[in-house]
Amino acid sequence: MAGTASLQSEPRRAALARFLATASAARTVEITALSPLGGGALQENWGLDARFAGGALNGDQRLVLRTDAATGIAASLTRLQEFAVLQAAFAAGVTVPEPLFASEDHAVWGKSFFIMRRVNGTAAPDRLTGDLTLDPVFPALAERLGSELARIHMIRPPRPNLAFLAPYGEVGPTRLIAGFRAYLDRHPAARPVLEWGIRWLETHILPSAEPVLCHHDFRTGNYMLDGATLTAILDWEFAGWGDPHEDIGWFCCKGWRFARLDREAGGIAERAPFYQAYESESGRSIDPRRVRFCEVLASVRWAIIALQQSDRHMFGGERNLDLALTGRRATECELEILMLLDPAGIPADA
Amino acid sequence: MHDLPTGSAVLALARDVLLNELTPLLPEDRRQDALLVAKCMAIAEREAETGGEPAQVVLCELAMLYEEESCCLLHRFAHDLRIGAFEGSELREGAARALMWRLTIAKLRQSNPSFLAANGLR
Repeated sequence: MAGTASLQSEPRRAALARFLATASAARTVEITALSPLGGGALQENWGLDARFAGGALNGDQRLVLRTDAATGIAASLTRLQEFAVLQAAFAAGVTVPEPLFASEDHAVWGKSFFIMRRVNGTAAPDRLTGDLTLDPVFPALAERLGSELARIHMIRPPRPNLAFLAPYGEVGPTRLIAGFRAYLDRHPAARPVLEWGIRWLETHILPSAEPVLCHHDFRTGNYMLDGATLTAILDWEFAGWGDPHEDIGWFCCKGWRFARLDREAGGIAERAPFYQAYESESGRSIDPRRVRFCEVLASVRWAIIALQQSDRHMFGGERNLDLALTGRRATECELEILMLLDPAGIPADA
Repeated sequence: MHDLPTGSAVLALARDVLLNELTPLLPEDRRQDALLVAKCMAIAEREAETGGEPAQVVLCELAMLYEEESCCLLHRFAHDLRIGAFEGSELREGAARALMWRLTIAKLRQSNPSFLAANGLR
């Protein structure tokens, strides 16, 4: 991670300690540990242990500092905006790390950041979906995630504290399609299957839904489990107003099933427990037509994001094996688009 | 004319050494990088084995579809799919779909054959 040493330097730690003391009204704050955490392709997360003397967080605290990575992709929120979304989710009773403080004073960390509590657990999706010991608890986990998603979707516009989120009319499928095509026009390689999938989306757009707050990256790999217990829904950087089926389609799309492609709800369970808990908590029915549309949309969107991640390596100056390989996942999405839209069409001589 | 063992063979051997002998010696937080390196080597090995043949097959089919040869046919194909150019003809649409399947499967055979297998394809 570039610049790790300078970020851990004594002046930087001292500036951070002063910020934490002021924000929490502590007499003093001593930073006892500070190191980068894994995960988060678009953001940097730092594990931060601190001893607060007095104030709102008196005592030893395990925290996370979240800030921008060296390069990102345009669709993500700023860290201060993500902090505001996290506050709204926390207030709505969603299981998230408690958001504590945010700062855009670059004198502290060199860029904007926010501080949240650190929760125990792991989010590693391949390991999680392949863990046979978790099989008995997966249906209950799917139910819990359905309820959590319903709670997120209870946050609806207008919300003055989320006024920075673009109105749904500016970010709905029509705009997404235009954005996908604009990206593909700039991309050096032709992507026929993506073009075909986007064309299908364009010709099958459904009437607008009543918008809700969508996480827009609600999937296995973005929640943490401590043993079998859900401890946090993570990574709110893509949140925005949208059709609730967008999150359902994203959660269920094949790209996020990891080791268990056969388990359609996030690689952990059948759809039924996830859907039933969602409908029970939200009081709304899930429309299968909208889910199908949103699953095609999800495969196209994930393919475009995968290509953009690869671009960060190829054109953005970010030397990173993981990013370089992510672009190849776009073809996996294209296979899924073909399987969704042309289920009988595999030529015998392919 | 190349010396033996072949490039593919030494690449396969290097990957085996990396995965089974070197990776266990690495600190936990660097093992994922080693797995990614092994993945890159496997892709390179498969691409070296098949060469440009899969791409050539797709280009030949595109030439048949358009009844002409050009270096830009894949871009033209993508553009035509964008505007629904094949939708008026069942025959041409079927040919376009078959081409997309073949292109996608050929790419995945090189980059991620296990994903193909997990979807019941080879």
